[in-house]
Amino acid sequence: MKIAVCVKQVPDSETRINLAAPAPELDQSGFTRVLNPYDAYAVEQAVRIKESREGVEVTAITVGPQTVKETLKKDCLAVGCDKAVIVDDPALAKADHAAIATVLAAVLGREPYDLVLFGLKAIDGDAGQVGILVAQKLGLPHVSTITKLELGEGSLKAEREIEGGKEIVEASLPCVLTCQKGLNEPRLPSLPNIMKAGMKPIETVTCRDLGIEAPANLVTVKLYSPPPARGACKLVEAEDPAAAARELARLLSEEAKVI
Amino acid sequence: MPNIAVFIEHRSGVLKKVAWQMLSEARRLADAHGGEVWGVFLGPDAAPAAATAGKHGADKVFAATGDAFAVYDSELWGTALAAFCTARKPDLVLVGSTALGKDLAPKAAAKLGCACISDAVGLKFDGGWEIRRPIFAGKCFADVTFSTPLAIVGIRPNAFVMAESPKAGAVESFDPGLDGVRSKAKVMSVEAATSGKVTLTEAEIVVSGGRGIKGPENYPLIEKLAEALGAAAGASRAIVDAGWVDYSHQVGQTGKTVAPNLYVACGISGAIQHLAGMSSSKCIVAINKDANAPIFKVADYGIVGDLFAVLPALTDEVGRIRG
Ligand SMILES: Cc1cc2nc3c(=O)[nH]c(=O)nc-3n(C[C@H](O)[C@H](O)[C@H](O)COP(=O)(O)OP(=O)(O)OC[C@H]3O[C@@H](n4cnc5c(N)ncnc54)[C@H](O)[C@@H]3O)c2cc1C
Repeated sequence: MKIAVCVKQVPDSETRINLAAPAPELDQSGFTRVLNPYDAYAVEQAVRIKESREGVEVTAITVGPQTVKETLKKDCLAVGCDKAVIVDDPALAKADHAAIATVLAAVLGREPYDLVLFGLKAIDGDAGQVGILVAQKLGLPHVSTITKLELGEGSLKAEREIEGGKEIVEASLPCVLTCQKGLNEPRLPSLPNIMKAGMKPIETVTCRDLGIEAPANLVTVKLYSPPPARGACKLVEAEDPAAAARELARLLSEEAKVI
Repeated sequence: MPNIAVFIEHRSGVLKKVAWQMLSEARRLADAHGGEVWGVFLGPDAAPAAATAGKHGADKVFAATGDAFAVYDSELWGTALAAFCTARKPDLVLVGSTALGKDLAPKAAAKLGCACISDAVGLKFDGGWEIRRPIFAGKCFADVTFSTPLAIVGIRPNAFVMAESPKAGAVESFDPGLDGVRSKAKVMSVEAATSGKVTLTEAEIVVSGGRGIKGPENYPLIEKLAEALGAAAGASRAIVDAGWVDYSHQVGQTGKTVAPNLYVACGISGAIQHLAGMSSSKCIVAINKDANAPIFKVADYGIVGDLFAVLPALTDEVGRIRG
């Protein structure tokens, strides 16, 4: 069985966006980059499947510059993925979701995979569409936002998070899944495994190697803006907490008019 | 003149409010720039959807009815929405950013090869479209344009204000193009969670608890205030990871992003990842015993105090005000 996990390196969640005024570019040069937290659930799930059956091979795939290598080694290969593919092509530096999906579909089209796992979304672009776009491009079924997976022979059953509950979905393999928190607890890489990860193969390819032109973007960012500034906080003071609570309720009702 | 189509979602027959918010905004745009506003409905019975859609400004409601649309199915619904777009050629299709909409929008867009823009909060038309969406969980906003004749745009619940502007809302059926199309991933059953009556992403008010509540036995303090306010109950990651509440309650960069009219943070310090998920809420209230907690930097109202003393009194007072 072959499993592909598509991952992205993103600015870590502590990142502050220092944007004083609207600007056509976002300077991301100083950001610390890590594995997208949702992709960790996809990697962990792939490795758990590998550990539970014979003959499973897990390939991590990413699009990005060579600086993604450290993340691939530490958070994918060192926790159990067997090999990795990096699509490193300067023409993709500003690729949108549709372009990335086209490129990933080209990588995935080179050999048949039984399962293709994605994180639900990347915490920088926050779109959550690449996995679903790839599934459609490959003509495969997908289940998005899964929190539980039972793999059968040639089929799977997954739980998918919906508002106030879950859907139980069945699909046949090959299948694309996007992973949500709750699916598993990702393990941390051990030091010896980080060392050993250096021996695992990482293939670097360009669009031309994949036999495609760098896809044109469908969506272009014109302007980045900081969120609107918030006003000062009005602290409610009173002789005791109960009185403060009553005054707060009054303000919310009469001044802010939100209750 | 742009024509805007709005997807009207139902789950088990219940229509989603985000559709009326999107129709109201589409109507405002159409009144300013021309063009028509259309509802698109997939479900067994279009009549209730069309009646409400008309009230919120839909000129027409295109409907495909039949058993295929009783329960969500990505392949079938995606095919139908794409068939509608091919037949009627709207300029923009708005789909609510709900669990269903987030699955449907990219599915249909990939079938059409058109642009898909997720989780938008603003639409501007000025000869061309400019769509505003938060990125980095709201630490920043991006204004984007697209190069295809049509874009499918996901819209955050509560991003637009619902308004009434009665139009005909006449139902016209369309062919969803399902001949020979088979389901690829099938929903076998739907289970409702036992906790949380109002869902986080759609709620107009959210009350969240953090590590300041001390233990899972005190989460009912949060739930009681939420209930009194008709709100959804949320949580910081700290108490989700501690196992005090289910992940579906987590607000933040790796949880739900919410922008309700009122967000009440109780015993939450305001870490950057939490702020990312809630700081575009219209009104923010912080209750925290530490006056230096960063949550006060984004709050509009605050009480520096012990939540165990404040919350019961607040719940009582809210109950009294709301009768
Ligand atoms: C990759 C990554 C992703 C993350 N994603 C998220 C996310 O999505 N959402 C999220 O929330 N966090 C997230 N975090 C975690 C975040 O960094 C914080 O650790 C977390 O938000 C802290 O939760 P808290 O505010 O409940 O706890 P604390 O920071 O411990 O704050 C508790 C607060 O309660 C107050 N308090 C204590 N007792 C009382 C009392 N009796 N009355 C009133 N106030 C009291 C204290 O003064 C304090 O301010 C993420 C972290 C990482 C590394």
